[in-house]
Amino acid sequence: MTLKECYEQLQGDYHGTLARLCSEKLVEKFALKFLADDSYTNLEEFMEEGNYNEAFRAAHTLKGVSLNLGFTKLYEVSEALTEALRGGQEPQNEDLLKKVGEEYQRTVSVLQELQHG
Amino acid sequence: MRNKVLIVDDMELNREILASILEKDYPIIEADSGKKAISIIQKQQDEIAIVLLDLIMPEVDGFAVLEVMRNQAWLKSIPVLVITAESKAGVESRCFEMGVSDFIKKPFDSAIVRNRVKNIVDLFGYRNHLEEKVEKQTETLKKQYKLLVMQAEKLKESNTNIIDILGTVVEGRNLESGEHIKRVKYFTRILAEQVMRDYPEYGLTQEKVDVIAAASALHDIGKISIPDNILLKPARLTKDEYEYMKSHTTRGCEILNNIQGVWDETYSKASYEICRHHHEKYDGNGYPDGLVGEQIPISAQLVSLADAYDALVSERVYKSAYSEDEAFHMIVSGECGVFNPKLLECFRKSKKKFEEENRLLKKKQQQGQESGS
Repeated sequence: MTLKECYEQLQGDYHGTLARLCSEKLVEKFALKFLADDSYTNLEEFMEEGNYNEAFRAAHTLKGVSLNLGFTKLYEVSEALTEALRGGQEPQNEDLLKKVGEEYQRTVSVLQELQHG
Repeated sequence: MRNKVLIVDDMELNREILASILEKDYPIIEADSGKKAISIIQKQQDEIAIVLLDLIMPEVDGFAVLEVMRNQAWLKSIPVLVITAESKAGVESRCFEMGVSDFIKKPFDSAIVRNRVKNIVDLFGYRNHLEEKVEKQTETLKKQYKLLVMQAEKLKESNTNIIDILGTVVEGRNLESGEHIKRVKYFTRILAEQVMRDYPEYGLTQEKVDVIAAASALHDIGKISIPDNILLKPARLTKDEYEYMKSHTTRGCEILNNIQGVWDETYSKASYEICRHHHEKYDGNGYPDGLVGEQIPISAQLVSLADAYDALVSERVYKSAYSEDEAFHMIVSGECGVFNPKLLECFRKSKKKFEEENRLLKKKQQQGQESGS
């Protein structure tokens, strides 16, 4: 799988990200590093604990990095969750976390495919 | 050297992306929390060229870091570039209010980050360099100013020395004058200081008063070119002799003209005015030019009154001393010629000071004579 195919599968912004980071190598390097990032795990834990302030920060981080890496779908759902958590409040819509989880898992599995060629 | 970029973000991947963009041009320092960022800035204040700051971080967030940087005045020399995915309205303007140099929203373009960082670093580098330069120059200027003040002091001293030397010549030539010169100087100063306070229209300042008082010593310098048989004649002068005597004013000016350029212009100008015009009268009946009213320079008007007062209260070969009260009334009533009403007003106000000074000087003179004999 090529990097481009990976982004197509993710419905991500391949061209925009490439243009911003200037090098395919760099995009691939950082996209794969996303696999080691624990923002999502943190988010899940904080949500379980009911610590919505920290959950907001974790969601915000996830939103920021997916925005920068051009993971458009993941950005959209984490953006929605971030806004629901703003001010440390409990999200009214329980679906939001579920959607982020699904999209995160999907992103990770596509990236793993890329990693293994 | 101030060339390091401090990247503050709690997420490693974000720091790595920024570092990959900038590491070719700058040494990179990373901080994964606001707390660490503050301690790094504190230790490496002079090495950090710019701080790239994330806003949303646990515990000490980006705003708290900015607050500290502002309170410590670090923001004056270290610029901050905020990089954030924060989309909340008002955040950007709040950052600018707190003094950040620029604000970049995610997703960022590596070329834009690189260029903005370069622009800000260059600008601040230039500004810091300029401030350093201005500081150094101010220091130099202060030193030079000090030197200048010292030189001005010296110059003033040498100007008064010239006056004193010339004054001594007058003393040596004209026996009555030694004490007279001193006394006229003191009376002139008392009157001038009163005029300075009451009549600002004459533009007198403490410096000008000092110059006038010093230059008053030369009012009779022309007398050194009056022959002894007239100058020291113990009897009344004939009309011709009197006319000749009057020329001491213009003769004095000739002497002063000959030493022009030797001393400061303010001193030579005041001396000239006093020397030439200290026998002018406010109604135009004086000599040598018959000037009227304010045509007579204020310096000459002051010395003229002081000179007249001293002549009255002192004993001369041809007359005994008048009492202080008599002398005061003779001047105010115009018996010794007409004076400027404003000066007379000041004279009235400082009558007591004149009298105190007169007694003090007479006492000193007596002591001097006693110890001398």
